[in-house]
Amino acid sequence: MKKIILSCLLLVMGTGLFAQFSRATLQASGLTCALCTKAINKSLEQLDFVSSVNADIKTSSFLIHFKPGAAVDIDALRNGVEDAGFSVAKLQLTGTFNAMAVAQDEHADYDGKTFHFLGVKKQVLNGEQVVTVVDKNFLPAKEFKKYSKTTSMSCVETGRMDNCCTKGGKANNSTRIYHLTL
Amino acid sequence: MTVLATLTAICYAQPKIGEQAPEIVLKGLNGKEYRLSDTRGKYVLVDFWASWCAPCRKSNRQLGPLYDLFHKKGFEIFGISLDEDINAWKKAIAADKINWVQTREDGGWNAPVAVAWNIEQLPTSFLLDRNGRVISIDPSAFEIEQVLRQGLK
Repeated sequence: MKKIILSCLLLVMGTGLFAQFSRATLQASGLTCALCTKAINKSLEQLDFVSSVNADIKTSSFLIHFKPGAAVDIDALRNGVEDAGFSVAKLQLTGTFNAMAVAQDEHADYDGKTFHFLGVKKQVLNGEQVVTVVDKNFLPAKEFKKYSKTTSMSCVETGRMDNCCTKGGKANNSTRIYHLTL
Repeated sequence: MTVLATLTAICYAQPKIGEQAPEIVLKGLNGKEYRLSDTRGKYVLVDFWASWCAPCRKSNRQLGPLYDLFHKKGFEIFGISLDEDINAWKKAIAADKINWVQTREDGGWNAPVAVAWNIEQLPTSFLLDRNGRVISIDPSAFEIEQVLRQGLK
């Protein structure tokens, strides 16, 4: 009996672990070489959901691994980079998806959060996929404009769910909503 | 608490100009152990770098001709890589044609040697005189050449 309970528990935990971002690729920009300073590394390593931060020369990015089961705070990644005196030029998250339907200018729930997809074709995400954060200050202003133009909803400007974005009244105005593209 | 912080600061302060460089014992590419103190009697550039650090790679290419010119006269470069990926390190050594002492330690920015020398950014380099005393921090290739032309006449 104990074994059965344990395997059930493991199964539940296993599926829980699946619907989660496992790692990120982050490009930082600034006046000096972002990979060459310990500051970004230090501030990202301090985050409790981060397990490791490594430099990747091929993409000039930080490869950030998340702790399994930990809640990934996307804003905290940006704050860490900004605290070190740099800005985020690109943030891509890798996660495993299980039949998640996405469409242009529509919401999708993942890892306990609601995401708003922009610049995507209607499709169903399965397996390991990479998504790119297109919120303000997660990419150059010019590129942000390109994505923000594709929606009339004001949440793209604030990053907060607004009346316009509530779906079935389930969200309140202050809920953080991240905008993603594929 | 303040005492502790001060102690840590003393232990992990970057060597300053005029100070004796702390000993470094690290393994090279071939597993051979290198000691910084074994270079005593020569001018030495202690050079912290990594394959993913673009300015470091540029510096490697500038150091090459200097090394070839002055090595036999009494100049050594003690390279220390913060690469975590050994293959990336090896590839960079080959690509940049590094023929001077090359060492590495696990841990990246948190490698004991990087912490002991308080390395906060790359590249960081220290030019030591024949007695192992720091005479310049982050010298340009031009500055190194001036010192070597003077000192290794």
